[in-house]
Amino acid sequence: MKADADNGSERTPARRSQKEATRQRVLAAARELFDTHGYQGTTIREIARHAGVAVGSVFTTFASKGEILSEVMQSRLDRLYGELDRVMPHLRGSTADRLRTMFAIHFNFEAPNVRLFLSHIAAAYDWTLPPTARPYGRTPRLQEIILECLDKGVHQGDVRPEARLQDIVDLLMSAYAWTYRLVVTEGADAKRLTEVMDRQIGLIAEGFQPR
Amino acid sequence: MKHISPTQVAAESPVRAPTRRALAKQQTRQKVLAAARRLFAEQGYEGATIRDIAAAAGMSTGAVFANFTDKSDLFREIMTADCEALLDAMREAAGKGRNVEEALLKVFMAGYGFYKSRLPLARAAFGVSWSPDGGPTLRGLGPVQGMSELFAEQLNLAVERGELRQEAEVKLRSQMLFDAYLSNYVQAIFEGWSLEALQARARDQIRILLAGARRG
Repeated sequence: MKADADNGSERTPARRSQKEATRQRVLAAARELFDTHGYQGTTIREIARHAGVAVGSVFTTFASKGEILSEVMQSRLDRLYGELDRVMPHLRGSTADRLRTMFAIHFNFEAPNVRLFLSHIAAAYDWTLPPTARPYGRTPRLQEIILECLDKGVHQGDVRPEARLQDIVDLLMSAYAWTYRLVVTEGADAKRLTEVMDRQIGLIAEGFQPR
Repeated sequence: MKHISPTQVAAESPVRAPTRRALAKQQTRQKVLAAARRLFAEQGYEGATIRDIAAAAGMSTGAVFANFTDKSDLFREIMTADCEALLDAMREAAGKGRNVEEALLKVFMAGYGFYKSRLPLARAAFGVSWSPDGGPTLRGLGPVQGMSELFAEQLNLAVERGELRQEAEVKLRSQMLFDAYLSNYVQAIFEGWSLEALQARARDQIRILLAGARRG
């Protein structure tokens, strides 16, 4: 067996290429650092040190910090959307209540690593972000889920058929994102975030219900 | 009539040394602020360094630090000045609306109009606002709080006028209006939406958010 030359503490499986191993180490280190120090407080240099790889080898795998975060979030979100795909078809009740459940799942999912999510939002404004990155607001899946939810509401009669659904989707998306400001300003937990979002959904629902 | 040349005026009204020094200091600050504003807009908050800002202002980093404690101090000063001017514009705009929906729409549009020529700076500010340290500072700025209050004032006035119900949940509703106002900057910044497109969207948002508070 060949000893790992650069890092004795971690042995890479023979088949996995060195590059893939580096990539996974970088992603794990980045996830931890973004969650602790936020997006702006984390540098590529620190990610490299934390991952035990050379700064240069981070750059051979990722173009920028934004791309690293984008990858970290993507793999997390795949799990979240998997869960939602299982749950959503079975939800009953009013459109507002289905939306509440859907967002509560989001908050519970993000709360344990909430700074990671804040990083995700902050990254949307990063100058070095490549066009391929998907910061918050450019993840189409959440929009689709909300739209399906509202569509169902039109069929069950508690969403006005002539309402511009995309506007409502956008309002809900922005209410969801901006609710996270309570984490920055008052250290809110998942319960508090859900409670505030529930009230906001109620208020938006008044705007889409048939008159 | 005898003309007085500017040099004569200067000679006749003696300028005291401390005033001149204060003036020079003021000019230095303005030069640094102008350079910082440009660099934050070009490179973002993270990308702009004090060293670059000093170089762009044509002075040493020491001279910058003699006037500002750090980069966040510079950024705060720029944002405070902008937001004060914007808040004035928003107040004036709100006064021109004939009803609550119009007043709010005019407030939204005063903001988008104000930032149309400085979207990169707005982008830098949003990045900072989501950071753990910069966020609370930026949101806590006096004029930013003032904007939030302006939205609440508009709803309260509408309740007084009888346009909205007494139990209009003014606090939550005005916060959501403010958030909706802010969220549209994403379209303005990244998708290049025109003021007309922003206005159409803002009108829809305002209608949805007011619907439950309408009377009758």
